[in-house]
Amino acid sequence: MQGRLSAWLVKHAIIHRSLGFDYQGIETLQIKPEDWHSIAVILYVYGYNYLRSQCAYDVAPGGLLASVYHLTRIEYGVDQPEEVCIKVFASRRNPRIPSVFWVWKSVDFQERESYDMLGISYDNHPRLKRILMPESWIGWPLRKDYISPNFYEIQDAH
Amino acid sequence: MAAASSAYAGFSMRPWRSSRSQKLRKSSALSVSAQQAEVEQTETKLETESTTTKQPGMTTPRPAEKQVNVQSKNMGKEYGGQWLSSTTRHVRIFAAYIDPETCEFDQTQMDKLTLILDPTDEFVWTDETCTKVYSYFQELVDHYEGAPLTEYTLRLIGSDIEHYIRKLLFQGEIKYNMDARVLNFSMGKPRVGFSYDGQLPDAY
Repeated sequence: MQGRLSAWLVKHAIIHRSLGFDYQGIETLQIKPEDWHSIAVILYVYGYNYLRSQCAYDVAPGGLLASVYHLTRIEYGVDQPEEVCIKVFASRRNPRIPSVFWVWKSVDFQERESYDMLGISYDNHPRLKRILMPESWIGWPLRKDYISPNFYEIQDAH
Repeated sequence: MAAASSAYAGFSMRPWRSSRSQKLRKSSALSVSAQQAEVEQTETKLETESTTTKQPGMTTPRPAEKQVNVQSKNMGKEYGGQWLSSTTRHVRIFAAYIDPETCEFDQTQMDKLTLILDPTDEFVWTDETCTKVYSYFQELVDHYEGAPLTEYTLRLIGSDIEHYIRKLLFQGEIKYNMDARVLNFSMGKPRVGFSYDGQLPDAY
């Protein structure tokens, strides 16, 4: 079963893959990283003016890294706003995804957090640097193959 | 507190942060640039010249020369109060030169690392055990030569020294100071027979 947005995108010949619906009935699409910056503008113009959240996760050890964007359309007098979830998969070797900061400003800190935790670098982000870990940290903590360094105070402190 | 302020140091955007990514350089007679040296001190004793007997396999510590008229530099509010350090309960490493008597903190001499060992006196230290820790510190700094001078590296060095102190404790070479102000056995409660040769005393 294809969702409404997916049908609309097919009608406009935009390459995507529909990943079905999640438990709340929100349709999920997969977009390629090289198309993402243009599709983000298309979705903004379509009406999705609010980026509810952006998160990222590590799909599998040795696999891809996913960057997830949850978009809604905020408008007056609507009980159930339209929502869509976009997943952009990046390879682990050189994870680069275009930043959508210039479309939705609220993605600023969220993309910094995805960069800090997983190492996905967002092109054209104005200040992409670590936000949670100390600036001089080495490594991407939330990757599945990250090994925490043997710092004394973390392991053994009383 | 050093630990709290160095955690905030990473978030500031001062322009002179870019000059801080220096490399640790090994001291040699031929180099004309600033030489790498270390100063080790405890809070109770002053570091003297290295007249310690060299045990087989241990590197001798190479302390920096004592400097006179050291003033605290780069510690004011306009510098953000930042310093590169790694602070745990027994090991404090600073990328600065700290005068042993007056405790003046010269932040501009970033080619030196200062180690302050056990300022709370949780263990009983002798000259020999102190020298062991200093020579281990010297080995670690030589090993980490070429690494970027960041807090991450200093924390790795500090953690290695803490693990070494724990090893010394388990071997019985240092022991807890029972007159310490805070006696909480932070490296493990004392156990019976841990470092013995396995023979338990007979129970009568």
